[in-house]
Amino acid sequence: MLKAPSPRALVLLACLLALFVALPFFVGPYGLKFATRLIVISIFVVSLDFLLGLGGLVSFGHAAFFGVGAYAVYFISSDEGAANAFLALGAGVGLAAVCALAIGAFACLTRGFYFIMVTLAAGQMMFSLFHDTDIAKGSDGAYINIKPDVTIAGHTLLDFDDRRSFFYVCLFFLIVALLALFWLARTPFGRIVQGLKANDARLSALGYDVYRAKLAAFVVSGAVAGLAGALFACIDGFVTPDLFAWRQSGLAIMMVVLGGAGTLFGPILGALAYISLEEALKTASLVGDFVSAHWRLGTGLTLVIAVLLSPDGLAGFLRAAPRVSRRTRAAPSRPPAAARKASTLATRTLSKTFGGLRAVDDVTVSFAPDLVHAIIGPNGAGKTTFTNLLSGALKPSAGEVLVDGKNVAGMPAHTIARRGVGRSFQRTNIFGAFTVEENCRLAAQAAHPAILRFVDARRSEDDATIAYALDVVGLSDRADALAGAMSNGEQRQLEIAMLIASGGSILVLDEPLAGMGPEETRRVVDLLRDLRRNHTIVLIEHDMDAVFAVADTLTVLALGRLIAHGSPDEVRRNGEVISAYLGGHAPQEAGA
Amino acid sequence: MNELLEARGLNAYYGASHVLRGVDFRVGRGETVSLLGRNGMGKTTLLRTLMGLTPSKSGDIRLGGADIRGWRPSAIARAGVGFVPEGRGIFPNLTVEENLVFAAREGADGRRDWTREGIFALFPRLAERRTNWGNQLSGGEQQMLTIGRALMSNPALLMVDEATEGLAPLVRDDIWRTLKLIADKGVAIVVVDKNLDDLKALCRRHVILVKGEVVFEGSTEELAARDDFVRSQLGL
Amino acid sequence: MSLILLQILNGLQYGLLLFLAASGLTLVFGILGIINLAHGAFYMLGAYAALTLTARLGDIFLALAAGIPLAFAFGAAIEWLFIRHLYKRDHLQQVLLTFALILVFNEIQQTVWGNYPLSIPMPSYLSSSISLTADLGYPVYRLALMAICIVLALVMMFVIQNTRAGRLIRAAESNPEMVEALGFDSRILFRIVFATGAALAAAAGILAAPVESAYPGIGDRVLIISFVVVVIGGIGSIRGAFLGSLLIGLADAFGKVFVPKFSSVLIYALMALVLVLRPSGLFGRQ
Repeated sequence: MLKAPSPRALVLLACLLALFVALPFFVGPYGLKFATRLIVISIFVVSLDFLLGLGGLVSFGHAAFFGVGAYAVYFISSDEGAANAFLALGAGVGLAAVCALAIGAFACLTRGFYFIMVTLAAGQMMFSLFHDTDIAKGSDGAYINIKPDVTIAGHTLLDFDDRRSFFYVCLFFLIVALLALFWLARTPFGRIVQGLKANDARLSALGYDVYRAKLAAFVVSGAVAGLAGALFACIDGFVTPDLFAWRQSGLAIMMVVLGGAGTLFGPILGALAYISLEEALKTASLVGDFVSAHWRLGTGLTLVIAVLLSPDGLAGFLRAAPRVSRRTRAAPSRPPAAARKASTLATRTLSKTFGGLRAVDDVTVSFAPDLVHAIIGPNGAGKTTFTNLLSGALKPSAGEVLVDGKNVAGMPAHTIARRGVGRSFQRTNIFGAFTVEENCRLAAQAAHPAILRFVDARRSEDDATIAYALDVVGLSDRADALAGAMSNGEQRQLEIAMLIASGGSILVLDEPLAGMGPEETRRVVDLLRDLRRNHTIVLIEHDMDAVFAVADTLTVLALGRLIAHGSPDEVRRNGEVISAYLGGHAPQEAGA
Repeated sequence: MNELLEARGLNAYYGASHVLRGVDFRVGRGETVSLLGRNGMGKTTLLRTLMGLTPSKSGDIRLGGADIRGWRPSAIARAGVGFVPEGRGIFPNLTVEENLVFAAREGADGRRDWTREGIFALFPRLAERRTNWGNQLSGGEQQMLTIGRALMSNPALLMVDEATEGLAPLVRDDIWRTLKLIADKGVAIVVVDKNLDDLKALCRRHVILVKGEVVFEGSTEELAARDDFVRSQLGL
Repeated sequence: MSLILLQILNGLQYGLLLFLAASGLTLVFGILGIINLAHGAFYMLGAYAALTLTARLGDIFLALAAGIPLAFAFGAAIEWLFIRHLYKRDHLQQVLLTFALILVFNEIQQTVWGNYPLSIPMPSYLSSSISLTADLGYPVYRLALMAICIVLALVMMFVIQNTRAGRLIRAAESNPEMVEALGFDSRILFRIVFATGAALAAAAGILAAPVESAYPGIGDRVLIISFVVVVIGGIGSIRGAFLGSLLIGLADAFGKVFVPKFSSVLIYALMALVLVLRPSGLFGRQ
């Protein structure tokens, strides 16, 4: 999760700010314009970092929103008089947000490579639209003859034509944008956005609508990019389709990564470094004619070397040493009084086929409330497919999944999660880049899974839920540990804590004991016994000792079919049938 | 003794967890060895480390006397190790025949015991499906193909990870029978599997891994003599 | 009627050229997992190199014969110098490094050939037109170009379907680790694949040079359209790239005639449509 900048970084930022505030007093018009451009580009790259660095969404068409913001100022300006500055900037933000919503609605359906390509194509589409048609004078570009100002009752309070005051306006907006995005990153919404990058499958399994979360991050980022574009249009009073060009998007990504993605302030350093480098290499008096004639070679090679040598960007040098704090918490005396969402889970003639293979074949079974139900069977019997059907990660080919009697088959995973079905994964599935507490907070927040929440209104309730969940699994003293750095066993405990914190009352656990030592196994078995008081648990497990120690019912799957279901004793007596399917794995041997 | 493969004091990590803790492991020429243990105890990691697919932090691996630790998997394969991974790893967009021809090479010691026709004789089911794509095969056929493909490089040592996992009982028997035939031809075999009885029938020596350490090593008779210990370690 | 025939020919010709470029891109992404933004720059360098090679050797086809191995060697060198460090890094850094390479390649182009569009003469024996209908002539060079593209496409498909190298490529696409474990050094395989991608892009650039002339921005255009083709066809699929290229070629040719101002927009709209209907492209694996 986004950390506050280290003291070193803060000192550097403060020095930069002081430098910029003082700048207009000792540089000429060219220098001031250069600095203004630098600041506006900084706003642009900070907006991109919110999407790319925090949300993990690599948008290669971000220049589209920058360009749209710039053109909005052109559209709103007239040759008769100055447009209102608030209106002009507002139009930039608004038009960019609308475009981001339209493009994002489509782009957010995709992920990974396709997301990169779709955003790239969308940006090029905007470029073509403004380049090939007569909108705003086409490929020639267009002038904003009178720049916006703020005039009240005939008094011009602020004129964007005045270089010095416009410089301060831009600096003001950079500070506002940076602080606003910092704040946003620490709200419940920001937590979800960062969850997108860390693990979107887990986010969905917690009950969040991943599509809407991506779209919201896309629009926020696009709107801020629009602000930068609107300001950019006012520097020269000129807009051109080149603002949309994919190289602008590429340069922005470059500055973000060069500075340090996911830090928000890092990209400012990246912009500063890149633009200064380019400017310096172009200046013959500084580097000589030969270098300045070949400035692209210099920047290109510098960047190649930067990527190869420093994957973390400039901000990596400013990272604070990890804090080791050992907060101890008072153990909560009572579980939070969350309303129980669901209690029974059942399937009716549930089937799933892959190609010709029937991985789950006509399974009808019912799991009664407040018991531990174990599903056993050889590898390849369809157990994991079965749990994927229960949790909505896969859509059934036929049949029903019933939560408290209501059919949820075919619903998306996050909807089923919201109905109270929490699941753990065979491979531990947590937010590795978050601390234990942050993992649980994102889970607790899922009790009210709206994406756009900007205030931690339920913070004290969430605190209680988190403390309870961590106490139940025995991780109270590890709240500040980075989840990704914990042992396999601890990560599994954390995963169960997240399910509890998210309010899941039917827990579907896929091999929670895999890879655990005897000590950890015993702890988790005790935990499952304890959870049974107010949770319905469906458990897939190979460890037969543990299964017989904790399970109230056994369900045996083989080759996708249900071949036995009942109490452990009944199933054991049914041993003949089972050994025909399971060979040496017959569970009656395990009871001894 | 005439060792083919010999590892000493092998340590390997997966992320932060210490998966192999000072493992000693050896296979003689033409010997059959089973590798036992519960899930997550390090069996697959040990095979992958021997194959060069997972890096080892420290220790020593020798193949026919040559120090192969740190070699690329391709070099280890060419030196005579065939690998049948968990999950099979067939190439779905190659036909059965292409999967086999793909891997054909002379053994490191110049042997040419295995040919395409030899594999088809070993697995008649594959001969019937020689023009099918890899992804059109059943689980059992895929497993046969992976074993056949590994044999095509005429290895001195075949390492087989969970070859009978998820297969119907009759198909499993088929696989075990074939492994026996391969062993009879003088190929050394290391097998990871959960099925103790079948392993006892095939292998002469058995190794049990618990939490990345070797807790038992001995002959089939010694394994039978310590049945309670073995069953408790394997969770049976 | 002749307008439609003409545009079909133009569309096919553009599509076939596009296929050469896009197949290299999809191969490199499908097997190496690298998003190579510098792919268009190989095309651009090919177009410029065509100028020099034609001047030296006297014929565009000799230039093609010499240019392909040169581009292959150049691609192998780039892989060895830069790309091989990126296989285990995330997409973002690949994007960044290959983007920086574009700057470097542009500089090479500017230093060697300057910044002006340059045209390359067609070979005199192919500079005539043949009449297809009573009122429609079509340049012979363009027909020859299509024929060469088709031959190259067939050779590529033959190699991939029927040779040992092709089996390796197909195997590496689905499971590179297993290829390594069967005794093939994937470092060398990856270098060859990347170099082949570069050679295909450069070949397209060389062939296109007499038709479109060489100019600095030519690489960017080809890169982006190639990405669109790859996304439409499905990542890693040569067949998909073939179909996607022809689709885009025809859409572009007809778009230019019927909706001249929106022809580029049309192409992106086509891509959006395909992705809505088939989120992993026409031939993509889920």
